[in-house]
Amino acid sequence: MTRSTVSGGEGMQAFKKSPWVLHYDASSCNGCDIEVVASLTPLYDVERLGVVNTGNPKHADIFLVTGSVNAQNLKVLRTLYEQMPEPRVVAAVGICATSGCVFRECYNVMGGVDTVLPVDVYIPGCAARPESIIDGILQAVELLEKKRAYMKSMHGRMKDMAIGRATALDAPEILALQKIVYQNEAEMYDDWSLAPLKQTLQDMRKDFETRVFIKAVVGGKIIGSVRGYMVGETTAHISRLIVHPYFWKQGIGTRLVQEAESNFPRAARFETFTGQKSRHTMEPYQRLGYMPVRQEKVSEHRDRVYFARNREGA
Amino acid sequence: MTALALLIAFPMAIAILLLVFRSQSARSVLVLVAAVVIAAGSVSIVFPQLAFMSAAFELPREYVDWTVLGLELALAGFIFFLGIRHVRHFVSLLALLQAGLAVATEVLFGGRIEIATFIAADKFSLVMAGIVGIVGSLIAVYSLGYMKAYHEHHREYRDRRPLFFFLQFLFLSAMFGVFFSNSLPLLLLFWEVTTLCSFLLIGYNGSAESRDKAFLALTLNLLGGLAFAGAILYLSATAGTVELDKLIAMEKGAALIPAAFLAFAGMTKSAQMPFSSWLLGAMVAPTPVSALLHSSTMVKAGVYMVLRLAPVLRGTVTGTVVALIGGITFLIASLIAISQSDAKRVLAWSTIANLGLIVLCGGIGTYEALWAGILLILFHAVTKALLFLCVGTFEQKTNTRDIENMSGLITAMPKLSIMIQIGIAGMFLAPFGMLVSKWAVLRALVDANPLLVVFVVFGSSATLFFWVKWMGKLLEVTKVRPADETGIARRQWAALGALSVLSVGLVGFYPLISAGFIEPYVRSIYGMVSTISQGNLVIMSIMLGMVALFPITFFVYQRKVRVVDAYLGGANVDSSILFQGAAGQVKSMELRNYYFQRLFGEQRLSLFGAIACAALIFVMFGVSL
Amino acid sequence: MQSRRGPPLLQPFYDVAKLFRKETIVVRRSQNFYVYFFFVFIVFTAVLFFTGGDLLLTIFALTLASIFLVLGAYKASSPYSFIGAERELILMMAYEPMVLLAAVGMYLVTRSFIVLDIARSPRLLVLTLPGLFVGFVVILVFKLRKSPFDLSASHHAHQEIVRGITTEFSGRTLALIEIAHWYETTVVLGMVALFFAALPWLAAVAAGVVFFLVILVDNVFARVKWQLALAAAWITAAALGVGNILVVFFLR
Repeated sequence: MTRSTVSGGEGMQAFKKSPWVLHYDASSCNGCDIEVVASLTPLYDVERLGVVNTGNPKHADIFLVTGSVNAQNLKVLRTLYEQMPEPRVVAAVGICATSGCVFRECYNVMGGVDTVLPVDVYIPGCAARPESIIDGILQAVELLEKKRAYMKSMHGRMKDMAIGRATALDAPEILALQKIVYQNEAEMYDDWSLAPLKQTLQDMRKDFETRVFIKAVVGGKIIGSVRGYMVGETTAHISRLIVHPYFWKQGIGTRLVQEAESNFPRAARFETFTGQKSRHTMEPYQRLGYMPVRQEKVSEHRDRVYFARNREGA
Repeated sequence: MTALALLIAFPMAIAILLLVFRSQSARSVLVLVAAVVIAAGSVSIVFPQLAFMSAAFELPREYVDWTVLGLELALAGFIFFLGIRHVRHFVSLLALLQAGLAVATEVLFGGRIEIATFIAADKFSLVMAGIVGIVGSLIAVYSLGYMKAYHEHHREYRDRRPLFFFLQFLFLSAMFGVFFSNSLPLLLLFWEVTTLCSFLLIGYNGSAESRDKAFLALTLNLLGGLAFAGAILYLSATAGTVELDKLIAMEKGAALIPAAFLAFAGMTKSAQMPFSSWLLGAMVAPTPVSALLHSSTMVKAGVYMVLRLAPVLRGTVTGTVVALIGGITFLIASLIAISQSDAKRVLAWSTIANLGLIVLCGGIGTYEALWAGILLILFHAVTKALLFLCVGTFEQKTNTRDIENMSGLITAMPKLSIMIQIGIAGMFLAPFGMLVSKWAVLRALVDANPLLVVFVVFGSSATLFFWVKWMGKLLEVTKVRPADETGIARRQWAALGALSVLSVGLVGFYPLISAGFIEPYVRSIYGMVSTISQGNLVIMSIMLGMVALFPITFFVYQRKVRVVDAYLGGANVDSSILFQGAAGQVKSMELRNYYFQRLFGEQRLSLFGAIACAALIFVMFGVSL
Repeated sequence: MQSRRGPPLLQPFYDVAKLFRKETIVVRRSQNFYVYFFFVFIVFTAVLFFTGGDLLLTIFALTLASIFLVLGAYKASSPYSFIGAERELILMMAYEPMVLLAAVGMYLVTRSFIVLDIARSPRLLVLTLPGLFVGFVVILVFKLRKSPFDLSASHHAHQEIVRGITTEFSGRTLALIEIAHWYETTVVLGMVALFFAALPWLAAVAAGVVFFLVILVDNVFARVKWQLALAAAWITAAALGVGNILVVFFLR
């Protein structure tokens, strides 16, 4: 995702006055869809807020998704999301979209929209009531304004970025970030079973006991992270380098890896692996002098490329 | 006079040389040199120092008369023989009748007729000569490259290129003859030479189909020639003169009958309804033939004749009927063009339509209409030639003429597609030439006969539809194909480039041509003239400038935009054309234009037009008598 | 109706303001340039008209501008924008005769194509050109992209051809299309006002009433098929337009 070429002043709050909605049914039972459409009827009349149900992602600001998402429509969701211009928010309508509800364990069900897309607003309910939906839309609209303002102010804030150790309290935020970043990876390799996507919060918290987590924070939000652990006496393994797509190509990845390395003063050798197509993950390592050592196939479309470097002077 | 005679004689001499020297290299040299000389010559005669505007022939009058008659009979005889040989007896009959009329005229009335001026050139002729000289020469240059590739692709056709180029230059010579002849029998001679050239060139590739089409063209043009001969006979009998300028100046009642016959001849030559079929049939000929004869020059001889008759037709019922025929042709042909997907047929129907518009102007005959008509000829000749040559080049490269196959041409053949777009824009878009001309027609009509406006407004909306959808087809890019414009001769590019520059340049320069030639001519006949106001000229120049900025955008690609796929319901598979269909199948998206076959189908509409116009032709003769 | 409030009156302005703050995404890199030229030429047309220029030239400039938009939609190379473009061409083919006939009618009465002259004419044009006026109002439905003749693009919740001609345009480009349509609306309403130009206050009222009428028609009727749209426009032009011109011509 590139930065948006937005313009205009702050004062008008235009997104609040004109939020255009794209409504998609991702294997919903249609209950929530009916409620979404009901919001457009004169009784609930969401159009008075300037909402238009456009059927075109390129015109939409808010992506309203119902249903628990299955293997077939996850690609459609990603495609539609990609075709939306920034700033955009995703609202998961109904409990199926939120978490998959009773269908979560089904063989073809992904289990909620946030397994596939970065969700900004959750609107629970079965079916979600029009009042909730409208409330959710309004919250999404607030987020739109915030996102836009945030993105605009990004340039100024970068110099305030803080990189340091993360604690277990950061686990939920890092997990959320991990899911967003790895959704891009999943799309690249057409493999939605990647371990980082499936990790639970409990599992993440356990990881904090054995791994060193580094986080990069801007304006109070974690926008990047990486972790590392010692393998044997002299080798440190760095992994799960994640940076929010809004902040790519700014050298944050490189700084994160450097910070991680500095937490292992006794390591003489550093190792990592990435997928063979993951250019943006490879670049920070390559910039720091990591060289590829071997490549092995892990699944149908994905190979793992192992990188390593020896500490200078070691 | 010397320069005029030279302009007629020089291409003829080149033609003969081309038959004698049959090697490719000799041909190239001859054609290139001839092209330059003819183009330069036709432009330079505007300078009075180089030509006498109008002078009597120095040779003894009778000598000329008998020569003309002799050549006429020779021509008729040749056609008669052709008709017999190919078992087209109607053609032979027509040739016989025409010969008979010519002989009758000379025998019965020859003694009484004194021809003062055989050859003359007024400003109108000069403009026409300039057009033919430049456009014709460019097409000849183009043919050098094109015909070489034509015969490489079509080894089944006999290579008769010497004959081809002979006919091209003979034709150019005859065209100059038509424009410079003041003596009607002389004009008829040159007129029929163009008919013969057309016949031989349509049938060039020797296939049965082309022979059929060639005879169709011959038949219909001979009908016109017959009417022409009839007009000469009538004039000799009743008015004692066979000169064009005398005819125009004659008292209107007497001039109407020969004018009607001459108008009929002009309408057959310019493929007005119901005679349009021959022009459609002529599309089997190689592209330079279509460009030269059947859009830019020969058919212009037909409308030239009608425009010459404008002062006679003005204000008469005959004139109104002629205008109606032109108007109906314009409307119906424009509608039919919507349903055509063969590019050459679209161009053919569009040509017929525009010729109809010029005939409309001639029939109305006011000073405004005449000005508009000449302007139309000017722009149409250049732009249509460009379009035909572009389509020919496309066909040469891809072996198809279908517009649907031109999808994405902007990436596959960028230079060619831009030239086609210039041509298309030139045909209907403001501020380009044809739009200026149509504007002039509208203004002429509102002052003369507002009801005829209905043809122009409905017809021009139709033209908008088929031109823009063609342009769109060039621009849409579903599969990015690598640019490949190899295999096209440098000479072809030169001709195409020159015509493109001319098409655009004319929009800027036509006020000069108008002021220098068209307006003086119109003023000389009517005493007054119309033109586009200074203010509007300025506005149109601004528009042209703005439109000209557009190509710059091709080089200033937006860098900071994000490129995504087209919307296909989110079911895109890797691209903008593949999508996930039912049952897991990956399908491909196709874009095809609307053709509205049922609404604007050729069969139905051309039948309707033919009936309407045929009836009107009877009316035209009826009211003239 | 059913106590529905709907969006506020200024909603179109909010929409445009929001669109300007969105990212620019394209399918083909050159597609937005067509829209920029569309916008420039629409503004040019408006300037031409409101400075009292030649009416026919104004109409031709408007056609030129619309063609840029159509070409842009073709350029976007997507099935929905393609259908939108083809339909837009059908619509242009449909309304062009009537617009030109209206100009011709005005010329026949005022002897001039210059907007300034027509506006200054002491004759109340609508009295001699009632047929042309009614025909023009019918065509207004086409030009303002209102039901039943809004075939080429879909406003608001209509989604049959997704967004038709505007499908692949977003952000700033879409905003420009909207603004250009506003300009087009003023020009076209200006032409309506020309029918009443002899009494300026009446002209303003007429323009307002006609605009309201068109919006009312939009909300009452459903979209028709293109065959009906084309037939409706051409028959109106032929009957009302040509009929009116016939009458004016013979009564002179």
